[in-house]
Amino acid sequence: MKGWIEKYLSVIRMTWIQTLEYKANTIVGAFAIFSGLAIEFLIWKQVFQAQGATEIRGFTFNGLIAYIFLCMIVGQLKSSWATSIEMIESIRTGELNKYLIRPVSFFTYHFMMFVGHNSLFYIVYTTILILFPILLPGFAFMTSLHVGGFIAAVLLSIYLSYAIYYCMVCFAFWFGEVRSLVIAYNISNIVLSGQIIPLRLFPDTARDIIYLTPLQFLVDFPVSIATNQLPLELWLPKMAAAFAWCVVMTLAGAAIYRAGIRVYGGFGA
Amino acid sequence: MPIRVNALSKHFRLFKREAGLSGAFRSFFNRKYEDFHALRDISLDIQDGEILGILGENGAGKTTLIKLLVGLLHPSSGKVDINGFTPWNRKAAFLKQISVVMGQKNQLWWDIPASESFLLNQKIYEIEKMAYNKRLRELVDLLGVEEKLNVQVRRLSLGERMKMEIIAALLHNPKIVLLDEPTIGLDVVSQSKIRDFVKYYNSQYGTTFLITSHYMHDIEALCKRVFVIHAGKSLYDGNFKELINRVNPRRKLQFEFSDVPNSGLIDSLAKEFQFNFQDNFLTAELPDSELTRLVTKLFKLSSPASITLEDLPVEDTMRSFFANPEQFLK
Repeated sequence: MKGWIEKYLSVIRMTWIQTLEYKANTIVGAFAIFSGLAIEFLIWKQVFQAQGATEIRGFTFNGLIAYIFLCMIVGQLKSSWATSIEMIESIRTGELNKYLIRPVSFFTYHFMMFVGHNSLFYIVYTTILILFPILLPGFAFMTSLHVGGFIAAVLLSIYLSYAIYYCMVCFAFWFGEVRSLVIAYNISNIVLSGQIIPLRLFPDTARDIIYLTPLQFLVDFPVSIATNQLPLELWLPKMAAAFAWCVVMTLAGAAIYRAGIRVYGGFGA
Repeated sequence: MPIRVNALSKHFRLFKREAGLSGAFRSFFNRKYEDFHALRDISLDIQDGEILGILGENGAGKTTLIKLLVGLLHPSSGKVDINGFTPWNRKAAFLKQISVVMGQKNQLWWDIPASESFLLNQKIYEIEKMAYNKRLRELVDLLGVEEKLNVQVRRLSLGERMKMEIIAALLHNPKIVLLDEPTIGLDVVSQSKIRDFVKYYNSQYGTTFLITSHYMHDIEALCKRVFVIHAGKSLYDGNFKELINRVNPRRKLQFEFSDVPNSGLIDSLAKEFQFNFQDNFLTAELPDSELTRLVTKLFKLSSPASITLEDLPVEDTMRSFFANPEQFLK
């Protein structure tokens, strides 16, 4: 077990070294989220002003901005679509060979690369989250329980999101090019997970359908905990459901991979 | 760690379409596939410590065979047993005993120095720190890349990169190493260094090497035994020199006369042997038996100012072999 941990921690270490090789890219990447937030801020300001409303479906303007800001942070932390595109490329071009010839798991190796590359975001966003109660007091992280619940839900979200992408990646064994599938899913999940508009603002039927899928656990669930919009008694059942989805998607990914590797041609390498 | 390959076959289902935009458009609605038999019924035994050359033209099936031996591919039929392991089960214990270097692909991280990739491999293969340091030092010294260890991989020359790839592949002291075109694109000096290294490493550690290369100098320098694949089928398994002799048993003689020979002498020899005569030099490419007769006659008739006898270039010999391999192996 110690060897296993050291092996994959080394992958994270490598991604840090790689990230630090390119200073400008690193700095721009870490703060890119603020451009998205500025757009959201301006759009919602217009919406509130146009309607002359102080509240929309229970959200005040500041409350909504706090919610959206947290959504963007969680959305960024769990978004492994770029890693997925790399994984598809490695199957399509035969680069996968370099993982297969070594005692490493394709799934875990790339998960650690994803975690490593995102580490900088973790640091920047953790700093922002610490400042959050000061910048927007009363809208999130009311107690340390909320902080703990949020962290647990975000960890589940990160893993679940990666496991869903992995299932799609493995279809590249048959179809070669599945980047459009990943991109289509990525666009739809940004909306359907509540990253742009809170799920609470969705039409009831659409929201009910989303609640049948794992998408609700990607963004809406952790942010609802942080902003105290989810009753405490629902935390554990929801956590259990999110965990169950993690197990289901991991098993599905492993099964698709096992079938896919049998037809893998290793072309191009 | 002997390798046993038994009746191994691999076929792929390949997508085919006609050229051009119309072909692309038709194939979008009506895909056509065909079976491509990359390997057919290959059997092969390799002993510990051997250096085996795998030869064949492009598309013959060499790389497919290597990929099956290291478990990158599942076969369509047949078995491979490497010291009790079936490669495509990809057990960690098996993967720790093999290594692959593919000349056209790399396992090193492109944007950071190779030394970092070596450290990653130390963890991946769970190499004990002392053993790792000792081994790295030895490999770096042997390949002469000390000064390049901390340079980003993308800034290294092709030859330096290949040496780093070889180090990364050997750090865990594998029992079997598969080198697929290890000298491709390298200058002659780098090619020669890598050949010398493989030879030394094999003799020092008894590591089994399987090598594919289009450079016959690699094969000639390293491999006593070769396995020839043609159109996915096994064509020859045996001594490389014997194969060369079978394909082209001729050698080249160059005889320089000390005095200008009379034309009658040259004419009489020309009735018996094929040769060229120019500026006091007689040059002939003949099988050994005829060469012996010719040389004997020449020595009786004249004393030479100089004489050389050499094998014909192995590249040329193999080129004629691959043009019609069945002809030479009947």
